[in-house]
Amino acid sequence: MKITAIKTERYGIFIAFIVICIVLAIASPKFLTLPNIRIILTQVSINALLAFGVTFVIITGGIDLSLGSVLAVAGVIAALFASPDAYPVIVPIFMGLAAGAACGLFNGVIITKSKVPPFIVTLGTMTIARGIALIISKGRPVSNLSDSFNFIGGGQLAGIPFPIIILVIAFVICSLILNKTVWGRYMYAIGGNELAAKASGINVDKIKMLVYVLSGILTATGGILLTSRITTGQPNSGLGFELDAIAAAIIGGTSTAGGKGTMTGTLLGALIIGVISNGLDLLNVSSYYQQLAMGVIIIAAVVLDSNNNKK
Amino acid sequence: MKVSISKFLLQTILLSGLFISCNNSGEDEIVIGTSLLSMQNEFVVSVSDEMEKKAKESGVRLIMVDAERSALKQVEQIESFIAQGVDAIILNPCEYEASSPAVKKALAAQIPIINVNSETSEKPTAFIGSDDVESGRIAMRYIAEKTGGKGKVIMIHGYMGQAAQIQRAEGAKEILGSTPGLELIAEQSGQWDRAKSMSLMENWIQSYGSQISAVFAQNDEMAMGAMKALTEAGLKDKVIVVGIDAIPDALQAVKKGTLDATVFQNAREQGGQAVATALSIIQGKPYEEKVMIPFELVTAGNVENYLK
Amino acid sequence: MHSTQQILQVKNLSKSFGENKVLDNISFQLRQGEVHALMGENGAGKSTFMNILAGLLQPDEGSIELNGKRLDAFNPIAHQKAGIAMIHQEIMMIPELTVGQNIFLGREKEISGSFLINDKKLHRKVNEILKDTGLSLDASARMKDLSLAEMQMVEIAKAISYDARVIIMDEPTSAISDREVEKLFTLIGKLKKKGVGLIYISHKMDEIFRVADTITVLRDGRHIGTEAANHLDHEMLVTRMVGRKIETLYPESSAKTGHVLMTVRDLSLDDKFNHIEFDLHQGEVLGMAGLMGAGRTEIALALYGMQPASSGTIAVNGQIVRLNNVQQAIQAGIGYVSEDRKNVGLITSLTIQQNMSLSSLSSFATKGWLMEEEEVNAIEQKSTELQLKSSGIKQVVGTLSGGNQQKVVLGKVLMANPQIIILDEPTRGVDIGAKSEIYKLIRQLTALGKGVLLISSELPEILGLSDRIMVISEGRQTALLSRQEASQELIMKYAAPGLAPPVKINTSKH
Repeated sequence: MKITAIKTERYGIFIAFIVICIVLAIASPKFLTLPNIRIILTQVSINALLAFGVTFVIITGGIDLSLGSVLAVAGVIAALFASPDAYPVIVPIFMGLAAGAACGLFNGVIITKSKVPPFIVTLGTMTIARGIALIISKGRPVSNLSDSFNFIGGGQLAGIPFPIIILVIAFVICSLILNKTVWGRYMYAIGGNELAAKASGINVDKIKMLVYVLSGILTATGGILLTSRITTGQPNSGLGFELDAIAAAIIGGTSTAGGKGTMTGTLLGALIIGVISNGLDLLNVSSYYQQLAMGVIIIAAVVLDSNNNKK
Repeated sequence: MKVSISKFLLQTILLSGLFISCNNSGEDEIVIGTSLLSMQNEFVVSVSDEMEKKAKESGVRLIMVDAERSALKQVEQIESFIAQGVDAIILNPCEYEASSPAVKKALAAQIPIINVNSETSEKPTAFIGSDDVESGRIAMRYIAEKTGGKGKVIMIHGYMGQAAQIQRAEGAKEILGSTPGLELIAEQSGQWDRAKSMSLMENWIQSYGSQISAVFAQNDEMAMGAMKALTEAGLKDKVIVVGIDAIPDALQAVKKGTLDATVFQNAREQGGQAVATALSIIQGKPYEEKVMIPFELVTAGNVENYLK
Repeated sequence: MHSTQQILQVKNLSKSFGENKVLDNISFQLRQGEVHALMGENGAGKSTFMNILAGLLQPDEGSIELNGKRLDAFNPIAHQKAGIAMIHQEIMMIPELTVGQNIFLGREKEISGSFLINDKKLHRKVNEILKDTGLSLDASARMKDLSLAEMQMVEIAKAISYDARVIIMDEPTSAISDREVEKLFTLIGKLKKKGVGLIYISHKMDEIFRVADTITVLRDGRHIGTEAANHLDHEMLVTRMVGRKIETLYPESSAKTGHVLMTVRDLSLDDKFNHIEFDLHQGEVLGMAGLMGAGRTEIALALYGMQPASSGTIAVNGQIVRLNNVQQAIQAGIGYVSEDRKNVGLITSLTIQQNMSLSSLSSFATKGWLMEEEEVNAIEQKSTELQLKSSGIKQVVGTLSGGNQQKVVLGKVLMANPQIIILDEPTRGVDIGAKSEIYKLIRQLTALGKGVLLISSELPEILGLSDRIMVISEGRQTALLSRQEASQELIMKYAAPGLAPPVKINTSKH
């Protein structure tokens, strides 16, 4: 009795995921095929990266609404350096990640030095980053990128699409940071009770800046992935991406109050969203009904999880 | 002492302000206000670039604002133009119905308003555009020709409800209707977005795989996305992909052979003609109420003409 | 007095949480006008018993009768309506609303008569209630502007406003000053005359003997005994509660005071405290006595880097230190156990493991990578040293008893290896068993050569443990007494307000 109770408490989302997969597999014979699974994982990779980043932030009790815009500006900057024969591929990658880190640092500094809530600050960064993306790209997509750059989003390694490999690596690294380092422990502490964390000697400002920089870097990775997948840097890409990322984190058990959340949960949350989107496409459900269905399923998953936690 | 100095400064500032504003509202200068659907859209940017060029050439002052895809914002912008007393307004509508109040207000204020590229339910003083219905027809006709009139077709729509989407779909469905061998097996909105259409196509490939004969995407961005998905699945050779707009990316793709065809919408002509028509109206010269600029099919055969 | 009616009859009450039997066949009676104290260590079952009486929990077996009528529906509103009111230990008030609005929260209709709110009438009525009960508060003051002590008084006023027949008071004096305690006792007297029955829970034995008519002792969920208060004394009570004899509450000091660990000179912060000056020696317990709000916690926070002083010097082991943040204080070897363990000392949603190693985590890590095995070993060792009672280090701290929670905080502070330990009300809300363990711990620390700064409002505690006692009154140091010369009366004299010249805000910043 006790054992099953504990299991459903921690694995409520996992069970929801399995149920959704089973339902979709029954409804569409193409769902559970290997090529489709590869497609799902590839499509999920971008949202999952953003979700990992925002999970760090939400665990400390903050929020980051600038994800979509940072994704765009990082993607555009990477694209600008990725013309064929211009620079070795490491340069656009580095520049894109640096752009993301810079946006994250900007968020972190303003949030820690001023009393302005993260909601407002990242809302501002959302607009600033989008503006920068439009300015440096002159409003037009940046096309004609090198093959080695496009490989990131479109290539395969040992039969596995590269985005999936990046997803797995990111997942492992983020899990390690959260679970096996001092900084991860401090993140939970700050989210659980910032005053008590400060009183325990934790440099709260430093950790807060770290999580926003991490979010920026992971989002930039998503931007590079998206850009190389569609082989253009688009200044208006990523619109609304922050909502899917935050939804994934929350479905996965990250509490907006702070102090609670796991990378595994977030990954499951992203998978649930991706699986629903793919499954409903296979069933040819119009995108408007899809949105409705997505919302209902997300609420159901969260209610199931919170009910289990109340016990 | 202090009081008189600040009084003097205040008077100087007021006078200079008056002087500057007098200079600016030179009765001889023509002012045209233009509200554009979205400056994040490459096509619209081409139109506006040409408008700017033409305005400069003609010595006309052009005030350009971005409606950011919001019909509400657009109506407010037109109200602002009316309040500023511009000589004419060029409107690039966001939506067929929702942007109509802008036209109504301008006409009521007796300011000539010219629609460019998209229509509104309220009829403006003049319309410069291309018949989107025709572009849909051109694209689908190409598909019908290339498939020999037989095959399964997928259509990717733009934002549902926008004039371009409604009309391009109308034209395509017309041809589909009159070609019994062509079957429309799936259609969804790709929201004019490359990445969204790529995902859509990937998922459709899972469902239909090698059954697909052709894909018609209502704009090039979506066509490029679909094309990428098909290429990755190794199906590109078997599927015909057609888009509309002839953006530089698409032209390159047509040249390379990865995109089968696109339909050229002459953004420059639209922009230039819009300004020219506006000027004619303002100067009381004769003008045409409807200027339709023809769409042109672009294939590998003639793509060189369009690459500049 | 013997024939007064019984208002509350509890028979054979039992309750288990899972396999844990928390209450075992408890019987209890309360008469009109009686103050019946409920005593027992933490974990004895007092909270559970009270929560059942208040309708917050449902018993597994047993019955409760109020004025002969059996209580069947176990929800707080039904119990309130039946006439049972409870004053919680935790302040459950809404900070942004006023005193009056909080008191009548949920019952606004009683004042206004409809779904509309009439705040003027509400505040007037509440001011009447407050005057009646002798509390000097303004009904239209916002809760968040009140001190902790005043908030507790509002809790009391709220319970009284229900016109209850039974009032349960859970640690009502834990956060209030002596003056207010007197007011409370006067109030209790009034309530007794009105025939209200009071159930009084407190760890402060002096109070219990002052105010209670009857005392019931619970231990491990069982009813140990019920006797008239004048038939018991301290020792008997403690023995019943703990089940064993506790010889001396305050252990003998075996430490020899050595050289000076910390030197504080001319420490000031605005109007909070001025010109504080003292030396803390190795092996010494320096008590800091004073009334609530005198500024002792503020001095501690300055020494711990949480709220730095604006002027003055602090030297540790002869070297002047800058204490602008907590990290610097910990590095200087200073540790602080806060008086507010729920909000400052602990992260109640996290586990024992996550809390205890928080101040020393970097010592278990190489370049950020945590050596969890080492960490767990150290934590378990410390837990055993402190005799921490829990179901394992993965237990969430919020579910521990007050005494055990305090041990987690102590563990955290001690794991950072401080030389100077500041304890701020370390036994507040802690039962007698854990209290004596903490006192033993303090002796162990001084025996190791550490210096302890002890802030306490419990005079017996300060007198029993300190080698020297510093008295703070309204932010100024008014006395520094040795153990021999100190007494309760002397401390009270120096702690009284108006003794020292008023504290000036230091305008000259160096």
